[in-house]
Amino acid sequence: MVEYQLLRATSLVEALEILAEKDNVECLAGGTDLLVDLHKQDSKFDQIDYVLDISSLKELKGINLGDKKAVIGSLTTHADLIESEEIQQKLPFIAEAAKSIGSTQIRNRATIGGNLVNAAACADSFSPLIALEAEVVLASRNGERKLSVRDFVKAPYKTALKKDELLKEIVFELPQGKYYSSYQKIGRRKALSISRISLTLLGEVKVDKVFKIQVVSGAATPSPVPFAEVNSYLLNKKLADIDPVEAGRLAAEEMVEITGERWSTPYKRPALAKLVERAVDDFLKEAANSG
Amino acid sequence: MAKLDVEITVNSKKYNLKVGSQERLLDTIRKELKLTGTKEGCSVGECGACTVIVDDKAVNSCMILTAQVDGSEIITVEGLESKKGLSPLQKAFVEKQAIQCGFCTPGMLMSALALLKNNPRPNKEKIKTALEGNLCRCTGYQQIIEAVETAAKEWGV
Repeated sequence: MVEYQLLRATSLVEALEILAEKDNVECLAGGTDLLVDLHKQDSKFDQIDYVLDISSLKELKGINLGDKKAVIGSLTTHADLIESEEIQQKLPFIAEAAKSIGSTQIRNRATIGGNLVNAAACADSFSPLIALEAEVVLASRNGERKLSVRDFVKAPYKTALKKDELLKEIVFELPQGKYYSSYQKIGRRKALSISRISLTLLGEVKVDKVFKIQVVSGAATPSPVPFAEVNSYLLNKKLADIDPVEAGRLAAEEMVEITGERWSTPYKRPALAKLVERAVDDFLKEAANSG
Repeated sequence: MAKLDVEITVNSKKYNLKVGSQERLLDTIRKELKLTGTKEGCSVGECGACTVIVDDKAVNSCMILTAQVDGSEIITVEGLESKKGLSPLQKAFVEKQAIQCGFCTPGMLMSALALLKNNPRPNKEKIKTALEGNLCRCTGYQQIIEAVETAAKEWGV
């Protein structure tokens, strides 16, 4: 039986105090994952005594992209990300990933922090943030610590968050120079679909070569990881020498190495190859267009 | 379990309520306020039948606890009709035969209203995006989209 007392925090300090003082507390943000599980009486939550509503904490909201350092508050909703002109201009792949999540109703409530803390294998927020080499700031009564988004997620539905900690914000350095990106996703239908495969490509070009590159999986692997083989294939390569089909093939091989042959492999192998091919195509086209 | 004090405004009427920890906005609207226009479909955020507007945004009321919306302005389908009769949006749904069994209609109306409040002249793509979280198993959506387009044209009237 899932039964809990709802607590409402009015400030971050108060929320951290509650997390430090009480046991068996689950934090509630947008609620689009947690409230479904609680309503279904998911036995995973049999042990909780409290649900701590943090959804109104102003300290955890907002997007601040400076010239170099960027901060996204953990309670920023996917709708906020889509509507942000700064995000659209500087980090369009984050807006693309946010658009692909749920439906209008869900994007109006669901938060980027909630997506990370829930840490579903198919969560759409990971690959863009890992491509940016973003870090999460985890706050507790005793202070704050930073962890890369990649290390934050341990396994599907498992993160490094401690019981007295709250995901406060996501921080990263804004990419500099000439950079281009692509976000790709396949689901079973457009709206409300759970990602079968998604990925982010973020690359920087200097003169006619790939200076920096991150191609990161989402949903294709149990936890989101950079495709090391694809990245090393693309890095330092002249744009003219890049074969998008080869990049796709390498990604698909790498995925199968990680996941092993599964019932879904005959579908996922060519599907992922094509997505990576499209992402690399996008990257090359954008780079060519901007000269 | 201690009850929580909540003040919400629903369809311009203020309510001071004591709600349970697990009470969803959908439960409050239907059971406490007896506003049964809002429907419970899937209870997991897939169907949109329970869509209401909270502070100008369309949300699934099955995925929000009432205690989370303390101080908010809420609109349900009952808020559309006035002394003058049906709203232009409702009229458009009737005129375009955008209703068959009617179960999805309150949610569709709320998603459409949230869109039109924010963007009075949406194109077809924007309408489709606004309605993508609302399932209709009767109409095939075409009439619903046409109804919203019609309402958008007459919204100023």
